[in-house]
Amino acid sequence: MNNKNTWMGVVAVAVVATLALVSTGRADEFTKSDKARWEKEYMTVVAKGRELWTSGKLGTNGVSCAQCHPNGANTHPETYPKFQKQIGRIIPLREMINWCLRNPLEGKPIPADDARMIAIEAYLAYERRGVALAPGKH
Amino acid sequence: MTWRSRSSLWIATFAAGGLFALGLGSDARSDAPSSVPLGLPAVPIPADNPQTPDKIALGKKLFEDVRFSSTGKVSCATCHAAEKAFTDGPLVTSKGINDLRGTRNAPTVLNAAYFSTQFWDGRSPSLEDQSQHPFVNPVEMGLPNHDPILAIVRTDKDYVAAFGKVFGKSGNAITMKEVMQAIASFERTQISGNSPFDRFYFAGDAKALTAAQKRGFDVFLNKGRCVSCHVIEQTTALFTDHRFHNIGVGITKIQKDVPELATAFLKTRATLAEVDAKVLSDKRTSELGRLAVTRSFDDIGSFKTPTLRNVALTAPYMHDGSLKTLKLVVEHYNNGGITTPKERINDFVSGGIRPLKLTPAEINDLVAFLEALTSPEVAKATKAKGR
Amino acid sequence: MSRFNLNRRGFLKASAAAIAAGAVPMSMVEVAFADAAKNFTFAYISDAHIQQIKGTQFVNNWDRGLIRAVAETNLLDPKPDFVFFGGDLAQLGNKAELDHGAEMLSALKQKTYYVMGEHDYYLDLGEYWSKLFGPQYYSFDHKGVHFVVLNSILTYDDWTFKRWPTPEQRMLEMAGLDNPNGSPFMVGDKQRAWLKADLDKVAKSTPLIVFSHSPLQKLYKGWNFWTEDAEQVQALLKPFAKATVLYGHVHQIQYNQIGNITFHSVMATAWPWPYPQTYAQAQHAMPKLTIPINRADPFFERDATGWQFIDVDSGKIAATYQLYNNTSRKVLFNPKTGQPEDTQYQEPAKRIPPQEHY
Repeated sequence: MNNKNTWMGVVAVAVVATLALVSTGRADEFTKSDKARWEKEYMTVVAKGRELWTSGKLGTNGVSCAQCHPNGANTHPETYPKFQKQIGRIIPLREMINWCLRNPLEGKPIPADDARMIAIEAYLAYERRGVALAPGKH
Repeated sequence: MTWRSRSSLWIATFAAGGLFALGLGSDARSDAPSSVPLGLPAVPIPADNPQTPDKIALGKKLFEDVRFSSTGKVSCATCHAAEKAFTDGPLVTSKGINDLRGTRNAPTVLNAAYFSTQFWDGRSPSLEDQSQHPFVNPVEMGLPNHDPILAIVRTDKDYVAAFGKVFGKSGNAITMKEVMQAIASFERTQISGNSPFDRFYFAGDAKALTAAQKRGFDVFLNKGRCVSCHVIEQTTALFTDHRFHNIGVGITKIQKDVPELATAFLKTRATLAEVDAKVLSDKRTSELGRLAVTRSFDDIGSFKTPTLRNVALTAPYMHDGSLKTLKLVVEHYNNGGITTPKERINDFVSGGIRPLKLTPAEINDLVAFLEALTSPEVAKATKAKGR
Repeated sequence: MSRFNLNRRGFLKASAAAIAAGAVPMSMVEVAFADAAKNFTFAYISDAHIQQIKGTQFVNNWDRGLIRAVAETNLLDPKPDFVFFGGDLAQLGNKAELDHGAEMLSALKQKTYYVMGEHDYYLDLGEYWSKLFGPQYYSFDHKGVHFVVLNSILTYDDWTFKRWPTPEQRMLEMAGLDNPNGSPFMVGDKQRAWLKADLDKVAKSTPLIVFSHSPLQKLYKGWNFWTEDAEQVQALLKPFAKATVLYGHVHQIQYNQIGNITFHSVMATAWPWPYPQTYAQAQHAMPKLTIPINRADPFFERDATGWQFIDVDSGKIAATYQLYNNTSRKVLFNPKTGQPEDTQYQEPAKRIPPQEHY
């Protein structure tokens, strides 16, 4: 065995040992506390989405999404992407949200990576939890 | 096979039908001509009236035959002239025999084959059916009935040969059914796509539209809300939803009289033929639109969403020809269904119509986009005859 | 395309035609003709939700829904005996909204009666509404039928008077249909006592029609499709052989039979609501009788909105729901089965292919 290989072996063991000290679980597992923490963070975004959904401030006429979609009902997030007649092509949910912002709410669309759009999508998915995916369905 | 890519909006279609529709031409739809223009779907053809070259030629002849009128001077082509994109611009409403005026603007025959109903009020279910009515309308061809037509087609040497060849019929076996089928057959060949818009949107040619037209397209899809009724789909665009809407043209001026007119009309038991005569001769009844056909409150003042293909060549606009330019049309929509801001919006206006708050630049851009819907061969045919 | 029968002659003819086609039991027509002289029609417009943006600017879509309903009602021939407005004229109950709504309703050619809705009430407890329209609950007789109008959107005193720092906040909280801070609707002790006294004077054979904004049933609490004292109110109506309740609030077609009481909801002119069963997390008790409205096109602004006209045939009602760009629906009381039925849609094969947008 030559010196280089030995040294590399020692370094590798040291690296693994270091990692073992830092993490509390194995590389391919999430711990219970991680999951609880992330779930909580998700729910804050859901709550933010709910707040936006009911606020009436997303458009320019005071109409809120919740007026027509209480608890996000009838938004059918599980059917997207699908052909949307009023837009004329296959779109994901967020483009439909923007259609509603433009049309009944008479406002401006929100970019896909905007925290508000993410929050709204998180809220709608949450209200629709448990429903099977049915992409393309009308 | 090249990938066609365009803006981030485009999504590749894997369906074979979709690829064919992108203008490659196809034998997959065996009834269609060998290639459907870019941006159009296959022409719907009824099973009992297949296309043949001879039938189409016969239909064209019938379409242009002025003998089928009481004065011997009016044919379908009088109001639907090929060199005017199959309209009679700049006439606001059409002139029939003895220059009698109707109440409605002649719609183009171009792409009419795709409509699920014919006429501004959809009172005819097909091209075949539609073709019989103007012959007997008092302000169009003015014939008392269809007998004079049958007399000619049963005895004229050329017609006898043609009907024999196309339908295998002669003498009294030739009926209006054959006449209507031939005319419809001809009309089904009058389709046009491959406009600058089609090349931009369906063929990925980013240079096909000018910058103003691209901005106008964005208005069309978003702030202008046009696409709600003037439909564009993933691989084809007919620019119509086949529905009927009250957008406040014509009816606005008589809105005070609408309750009385509607009630009076609904009390009558007019047949469809009577409706046909009445709506073209009585302007006020004409404004009731599809109500005259369906007798439904939904349809008060409603007219069919026409195609926008070649719209730059089919002025003046609307069912009564009351809007001379595309700019006036866009301004009418921008006002929320009234031509001038001072007018009162009528009670029965269609749900989607409302003030749009377009800027003057957006209005001009939208008009520019509408001008991009002209098919090159139609533009050529229209220029050639010096319209 | 809807075949709209403008008048009762047309309506009865349609029934006759339906009989010929074998779709309707013979007995229904017999009831309809029984006391022909006493039969009459009234129109019912509800849930306009006129919503102020700023100053004299109002949400265009809701305005146009109400304008259209009023204009079409005025076209009815023969004319209805009167018109009812079913509540929620305003969205946030302020003077501007109520005035604007009242102005649009003033175009109606018939005498109009008004029912209180929660959106009209919770800003000022109906003070301005009463100035415009009169008492919040009352009764009257017409052609042998006893009409009662209830204010059925009250709630617990604690919530109404002690919970919220300002009237505006209170109104906002009640305005959210799915608001967990809301509070269940009720008729309340005072009105139930009034109702009992009022009904004591009415012969039990008299047909009774009760107007209410909340359903006078317990359908889905999450969206306040609910009346907390429903059973007690129903008990007061029970002695009447022919009792019908017409309610708003739900923005959709519902109908039900509880004992001898027939229930019909009315649609909104503003916007439709989904049926509670479409909310994946809801537990509800929606009447099984109800065949949901099909929504022709959810992106069409008047989709699944509309108004209705009610035929009163010998004390039982037949409601015709006028939906825009959609097939009108008729819900008639079927004496054979003892419940209201949508005449066209009884057979599953006759229903429009399902559009689960309801």
